[in-house]
Parts: sequence; structure tokens; C-alpha cells
Amino acid sequence: MAIISPCNNLVQITQSGNIGEKVKTIEIITMKSLKSLFSLFKDSSLTKEEYQSIHQKLQKQYGSESDPWGFNLEKAMKSLKRTYPIYKGYFQARLFGKENVQDKPYIIISNHTGQIAIDGMLITTAFATELEKPRVVRALVERFFSTLPFVGTWVNEGGGVLGDRHNCQHLLKRNQSVLVFPEGVKGIAKSTPDYYQLQHFTRGFFRMALTGQVDILPVCVIGAEEFYPYVYQAKGIAKLLSLPALPLSPNLIPLPSPVDIYIGKPYTIPKGLCADATDQVIDEHIKVLKDQISDMIKSGLEKRREFYFNKRPK
Amino acid sequence: MNAKKNQKTKSILIIGMSGGLAKITTKKILDKFPHAEICGVDSRNLDTTNYPENVNFIQMKYTRGNFEKLFREKKFDTVFHLARMSHSSANPMITVSKRLDLNLMGTRRILDLSLKFNVKRIIILSTYHVYGALPENPVYLKEDSALKASIKYPELRDVVEMDQMATSWMWKNKEAIETVILRPCNVIGPRLNNTITEYLTANYAPIGIDFNPMFQFIHEEDMSNVLCQSIESISPGIYNVAHPETIPLREAKKITSDGGIPTLLFALEKIGKIIKQVWTFPDYLIHYLMYPCIIDSSPLFNQLSEDFQFTSRQALEDLKSIED
Repeated sequence: MAIISPCNNLVQITQSGNIGEKVKTIEIITMKSLKSLFSLFKDSSLTKEEYQSIHQKLQKQYGSESDPWGFNLEKAMKSLKRTYPIYKGYFQARLFGKENVQDKPYIIISNHTGQIAIDGMLITTAFATELEKPRVVRALVERFFSTLPFVGTWVNEGGGVLGDRHNCQHLLKRNQSVLVFPEGVKGIAKSTPDYYQLQHFTRGFFRMALTGQVDILPVCVIGAEEFYPYVYQAKGIAKLLSLPALPLSPNLIPLPSPVDIYIGKPYTIPKGLCADATDQVIDEHIKVLKDQISDMIKSGLEKRREFYFNKRPK
Repeated sequence: MNAKKNQKTKSILIIGMSGGLAKITTKKILDKFPHAEICGVDSRNLDTTNYPENVNFIQMKYTRGNFEKLFREKKFDTVFHLARMSHSSANPMITVSKRLDLNLMGTRRILDLSLKFNVKRIIILSTYHVYGALPENPVYLKEDSALKASIKYPELRDVVEMDQMATSWMWKNKEAIETVILRPCNVIGPRLNNTITEYLTANYAPIGIDFNPMFQFIHEEDMSNVLCQSIESISPGIYNVAHPETIPLREAKKITSDGGIPTLLFALEKIGKIIKQVWTFPDYLIHYLMYPCIIDSSPLFNQLSEDFQFTSRQALEDLKSIED
């Protein structure tokens, strides 16, 4: 019998003799786990001072009114209050490479992992809370999200934007940083054997960076694949139900795998390169970026913290 | 002297004169061109007691014969086509075929007659609804964006077709006649009685708890100003009309009414079909309460001689103050 204790990410195995004792032990461990989970969420919340400081800094940049995409700072801050304990407490997230972020807009690209786009939430939380000058990263989201009741509105109010080239260009013009997952659904919807393997990068983000003349900031997330350690992608059923993906996993709730987020060195957009350059020319630059993220994944996997379900890439 | 001469020569036809927007626009035209000869026509009744002598109202059926007689006798130099029949079901007796006849065939007749009788400029009031409210809409739909409304909502087919017909007609006859097509966002104001104004001011209207799209509003005064400026100041072409300020629908509803009925909009669409007999809210508008349709009107702003008086928020507040 295995019980996952979210406070220290250990798997405890009861080894008691009779069934009655086993059940009792399980109950005690479960209660302890719930208590420690509760205290963990409480302990890892933002203090009032931290919250106010972030709020003030963000308000200077974004104001209090909703923007045309539906982002509303007041509502986003309320969401942040709830998501920060998940970020810091449950996933024990750490951010590395803060020194690579300057005070200017970027197109942020990242590997896409974790089956349900929690990585996007973790990256946006990291940029909003851990940088000296916090910022709301505008994540470009799959069209499917906009059709979902409650979720679509929540995503928009928190800064998410429909993944569309026009939206991206308008946001860059407003000096906002945009988060793109160049692998798209193929990246997040991987089955277990493909974990930590980068999928094909689409070219749109690079062309948008060229149009907006902004640098690209590569990011890599380590630990999110283990939220759902065993996954089978039911592609056929997903197609029938018109869903972007249908991951089947024994656990419904993501496991508390510790997450490390690495920010790489920014990739400066080559001068004189036109946004309508041929795919061949664009692909050369994308390869460099993909290799950079791939190296970050390798090094991140070597340095990561222990977790029972840790996976190694092929 | 020249200005005075110009004022005297203006002969303007306003089709759909009984509508709230037409009435406000007429007053603005008279302020700008006091000597203009204005002929207003409508199939509905109109109280003309407050208008000066140079405003002539004719109640008539929108038939080819009636229009032909009018164009032949009056020699208009500017025509306002504001008579698009909406789907608000204000009159449930209006059948789809009647609507199609007025919006499509009627518009065609007006365009052809304008060309035949040497009208200098025709101004056509379309709507931003032609773009459709779709989850995949980017923010800021430009005038050249695809008109997708009719793909999802067959009941908007005539509105889209009317817009497309006017657009192709405009390019075809650009040497002979100047055409301005306006696609305004939600026009609201205390003197208007359209679906969105009714929705905003009604306390029993559904308000989504599951969706909260951004909206743009334009005040009736600003819209009528744009119509008025279309006579001379705006170059021929197609223009979105909206204030750049956007506002979430729930917030807009909070400003204009004491509240609404919290509703799951995704379920309402299905329920609406069942209770259609007692509830006249158009089906397609439910999607406009769920998904964004934000338009970019910068090309128009580049041509206007004066800024809008009201932001979206101020327009909503004005609507509320009149309600109070």
C-alpha cells in the first residue's frame, strides 16, 4: 500500500502485520498528510507585505482596468493568492536564471510538459512573484480554452490570451512579454515513454519576434512530467470528442513533483532578417533555440531533487 | 459664402427615419447644414412636430415603385441607409422572408437607384455583428477580417450578405458614387431602443457566470456624429466604429442596471430553444455574451475631425443616469 505524503514527497509503505493495524496506520498517515498539506499551503502563502509590494509594482505597469483581452490586475492578484501556495508549497518551485531577464518585452518560449498546462501557470507565477521587477507574462493559450465555461474567463482575467498572431503583435507593441509553447499540444500531450523529449517547434513565435523586434527568452521546466508519471494518450477518442488531447492516467490530481524553472540566456533577434524569410532560414535559428532548451533540460535533470517517480529521458 | 452655398445645395435622404439614431443624426445634420433639405422615409409612423420646414417625412412602404418616385422627384445628393431590420424580434410578426426582402432586396434597390439618379454619396449602416462572436476571434478585428457571422448563425445571413453586397457594389461603382459603409459596435444611448440597450437596462436579463467577454460601446451622440461627418469628412470605404476602451460585460451590466439573473450561458443556448416562444432574445446574441468581438477603428479615427465625446464607460453611465 503506497501513500504519497505531499509535505516531503516521500512514498511511505505500511508494513504492519494484520489488516486492522494496516488500516489504522493508513488513516494516521492520511490525516498527517492532510494536516501537513494544509500547513504547507498556509506556510507557503505570500505575506501581506509581499503581496502588496507585487501588487503596487504591477499596478504601475498595468493599471487597474481590464485590458481588451480581459486581463484584470485585481482579479489576477486574487488568483495569484491561490496559485502561489500551489507553486511554492505543493510543487516547491524554484526559479533559476533571474539575472537573464532585463526590463523589456520578450517572447518567452518553453518546453511544454505536465499534461494539463500547469507549466504555463508555474512560469507566469514565477515571473509575477520572483523577479525584482515583476511582470505579467501573457501566455498564448490553445483555442479550446476560450470555449470552456469559467476556465476561459479565468485564464483571460489572469493574463492568458488566445494564441493568435494578431494578439501577440498587439501585446508586444504594448511592451508586454508573451509566453509561447512552440511545441503546442504535441509537447504537452506526450505518453510516458516520450517524457522530456522536445517535439517539433513551430515557426510562428520566431516570425512574431522578428515582426515585433523583441528578443527570445528560452525557459525550461523540469519536474512537470512527473505530475502524471504514467500516461497513455487516447488520441483516437480525443479526435472523436474534438478535444486537443485526452491523457489517461491513474492519478487525477497532479503529484507533488518538485519543479525547477530555468531561464536561459536571451536569444538576440538577428538584425536584417525579415519576418517573411524562408522556412529554411528560420529553421536554422529555431534549431539553435531548440538545442539551447534541450541542453537546459539535460542539465536540469541532473540537478533536480529526488522524487519517487522521477523519469529519465531516453 | 461658399459654405452657405454648400449648405443650400444639400439634399439628403434618410431611410429608416423613425429609428432613434436617425432622429439624432437629423438634428446633427441640421446643426451643421441648417439649410439642407432632408427627406426622411420609413414604413413606421413618426411624430414630425419638432422638425423645421426643411425636414420632410414620408411614411411609405419600401417598394421599388415608391423609392423610384422619390429619387426621381427629389434629386438627392446624399443618401443614408439606416433601415436595416434587426433580429431583435421586437415584432414577432416579421418573418425571415420579409427581413431578407428588406435587408437584401431593399438595399439593392436603394443602391441601384442611387447610382441611376446620380447620388454623390451613400452611407450605409451595417454592424460589427458581421464578424461574428467566436472563441477564436483575435482582439482587434480589422475591416478586412473575414465576416464569419453567417457561418455559425444562419439568422445573420442577411446582415452579412447585405454588408458584402454593399462592399462589392462600392468597389464596382467607385468612380460613379462614393460609398461609406459603417460597422459600429454596440450603439447605446437613452434615446435608443435596440436589443443591447434593452439588455443592459433590464434587471431580469441573463448575465453569464461562466463567460465574461470584453465589450465596446459607442454612445448614440458619437455614432450620430460619425454619421454626420460621413457626409463630407470621411473618405469612401468601410469603417469599424468603436471607442478603443473595452469593458467586461459583467462590469457593463453592473453600471447600467441593478443586476441580472446569474446564468450558465453555455446551458442557456440549449434552454433558449425550448423557451423561445416566451423569450424573444435572439439566439445569436447569446454567443456575443460569451465570446469576444473587439474591433479596431483606427482608420476611422484618422479621418474624424473631432474625438468621441464618450468612452465606453461614460456611454454606459449616461444610459444608467437616464434610467434613474
